[in-house]
Parts: sequence; C-alpha cells; structure tokens
Amino acid sequence: MAHRRRGVGVARSGAKNAKIQKKADEMKAMSLQSAMDTCQTLETKLTEFAERHRNEIQNDPAFRTQFLKMCAPLGVDPLQSKKSFWNGVLGVGDFYYELAVKVAETCLATKARNGGIMSITEVQSMLAKRTTRFDFAGTSSASTSTSKKKKKKSKDTYSEEDIKLAIKKLAVLGNGFRTIEVGNSTMIVSVPTELDNDHMEVMTLAKNMQCVTTEQVCEVTGWSKSRAERALQLLLQEGMAWLDKYEGLDFYWFPSIWKETMEEEQS
Amino acid sequence: MSSSDFEYPEFYSFPPFFTIQPVLSTREKQMALWQELILRYHTEKKIKTLVVHDCPLWKNESIGRQLSPEDIGVVMTEFCKSGHGEWQDDNETRCRILWRKPEQLATDIYQWAEANQMINNVCTVYELHSGEDVNGMSFQGADEELLRRALSILEDQGKAAIFKGDTSEEDGIKFF
Repeated sequence: MAHRRRGVGVARSGAKNAKIQKKADEMKAMSLQSAMDTCQTLETKLTEFAERHRNEIQNDPAFRTQFLKMCAPLGVDPLQSKKSFWNGVLGVGDFYYELAVKVAETCLATKARNGGIMSITEVQSMLAKRTTRFDFAGTSSASTSTSKKKKKKSKDTYSEEDIKLAIKKLAVLGNGFRTIEVGNSTMIVSVPTELDNDHMEVMTLAKNMQCVTTEQVCEVTGWSKSRAERALQLLLQEGMAWLDKYEGLDFYWFPSIWKETMEEEQS
Repeated sequence: MSSSDFEYPEFYSFPPFFTIQPVLSTREKQMALWQELILRYHTEKKIKTLVVHDCPLWKNESIGRQLSPEDIGVVMTEFCKSGHGEWQDDNETRCRILWRKPEQLATDIYQWAEANQMINNVCTVYELHSGEDVNGMSFQGADEELLRRALSILEDQGKAAIFKGDTSEEDGIKFF
C-alpha cells in the first residue's frame, strides 16, 4: 500500500514509472522462474514416472498408448525426442524408428504378391513371428517383464497404434507409405499408386464378400460396367488384386484382404 | 516322410493361385511360388519324377480349384526353365525333378567326402545314394543319372576319379 500512496504524486511520476517497470520485471522474472520451476518439476515427475514404468511403456502396447496420450497435452512428444532426455530415459524415439524399419521391410518383402497393400493385422502377425525382439537401447528388460505380459499373445507386442505411428514416420520419407481404411480394417499402402474412392469402394466390397466380380460391383454400387472395370483393372495391374477364373466367371481377390481374413480365423 | 506330413504353403489355399495371372509382374511371382512348391513337394517326399497327369498338386479339393491342362503346361515349362526339372520324354508327360542342381549336388558330395574322411578313399555309387553314411544328405536316394552328372563335375574339377565296377552301381569313386 505504501507504494501506491507515494506513487500518486505527479512530481514523482518518473520515479514511479521506473519503479513500476522494476516491479514488472521482477514479476516477469518470478513468473518465468515459476514457470520454469513448474516445467522442471513436470519434467522430473514425468521422468520419474517414465523410469518407474519403463518396462510397461516398452512392452505393453496399451500402457504405451496411454502414456503417449498423457504426454500429448503437456506438449511433450517422446516419440520425436531422439535427442532429448526421453531418449536417455526410454529409448522410445528409437523404438518407433526401428519399428518403422521393420514395417517397411515387411511391406517390401511381400510387395510382389500383394501389390504393396497389406493389413495392419498381417504386419502385426508377421512381426510377431520374427524371432529377434527389439533390444531397447541395450536394456535387457525382457527378463524382468511381468507375468501379465508373458501371458499376452506375442501378437500384441506391437499395437495397431504403434504401427500407425511408425507409418507416420515413414510417410516423411515420401515413397507413398500411408494407411487407408478399408471397411473396418486398416491397410498399409507402401506404393505411391493413387487410389481413388472407386478403388476404396471396390476393396471395401471385397472385404465383405472375400472376392468380387465386375457384375457384383455394378450391382452394389450402381456404377456402369466400364467404371467398375476401370477400378478393377487398375487394382489388377498394380498387383493388388489377383484374377480367379472359376466356372466361367472372373473373380477378383485381394491378397491383403484374404490374408487378413485368414489371420482373423486363426486367432 | 509320409504324404500327410507335407505342409502346404498358405497361398495354396488362395483361389487365384490356380489361374494363370494376366498381369506380368504378378504372374512372375505366381510362377516363382509354383516352382518353389513343386520342388519342395518332391524334395521333401523324395519323389524323383513328376508324372504330369498324376500329380496331386494341380488340384486343391478343399477350395474347389485346379489348374487347367493348358495352365499346367505353362507352369511346367516355367519350372523346367528354372533348371530344376527336365523332361524325360518328348511328349512331356514325365519330368525328372532335380532336387538339387548337379553343381549344388557336386559341392554337397565333396563336402560330405571331406567331413567323412573319404578324401583319398574309395566308395561306390551305390554307397553314395543308399549307403549308411549318407543319412540326411541331399544326395541320399538321389537319381543315379543325376549323381553321375554331379560326379563328372567333380571329375572335371580334379576332385574325384570314377572307375568301372562289375555293375554300374559298383562303380567306384575316389576323392582327392
């Protein structure tokens, strides 16, 4: 209050301004300091949390997703943070880069037979079959993993979310890596081929019916024959569809969709 | 190995596998898969000859698909091109399946000879394909003509010499 009374005097306005300025600076410094403190605390707490739950973050896809959700509103992206403290704490940055490489390898290895399109489910199960497990920045945390995780199917080692995030990293490189939704399943496309709505609709149809004929496509969509043929021919040309001549009819099958159905039947 | 042991690959249940694919790159992949299947089937079952009209591979009852006779011809022509098959007759009804190409077989035999102290020793052709020491080797039960081709490769390389026995099976091989 003393400040205020003295500040009323007009003659002292210069001094007053200087004082206000000084006070303002002090307050700025303080709030900056407190913000920095808060950040510091947050960082420490997050680090503690991450360290405490390191195994879960690395091995449990559900937990990992939750952890990432928690980080997002705080403006922390552990996935991007190869250079930050996160890498030291978690090695999470590496996790997604390595997964991205594995996903890319899987897609390229199967490209000849599926034309560069395959379901996330298939990628998951192929990755699960690979014997080498990702070694987290030299940590041998696998031995200490809880029994709960051991009970989980190995297929769950990478969640759909994980693979989607990894694909996002690949997308940066160009080359057309992306995910598309076909019916209720997510497909990874590893070729730059443009797929328009017609192609997507044909595949969605095939997802429900296993395989389609030109006539079936026309019937369901109401398209002209030439429109249906155009869509099917491109998919065939790209190797995304295979032709099955059976009892005088041409059936179009999609290895990506067929494989996914097989996986689902197995599990 | 009994017939029930053979594990069919997954694509054997994929219906379009039984239609020759119209798109070149897909067809190349398809042919490669057929070659792999034919070779593995005959190697694992130790079948030396594929009789075209009698081969069970062309038909998959469980999915109701089969290769048409013309398509079988295409698949077999491609198979022979791969170097793992040879027609035994002009009508192309019987095909000798080369489990291993002669060059591979020659290498296998010489490695076996080295591992079993056969260098500077003699064994017979019979011992090579049916002897007690060749259990599990790639040339166990191999076609005799194929074996002889492999042996002549070794002879050309100066790694073996062949001399006549009373019967062809008693022909001896000396390894160097």
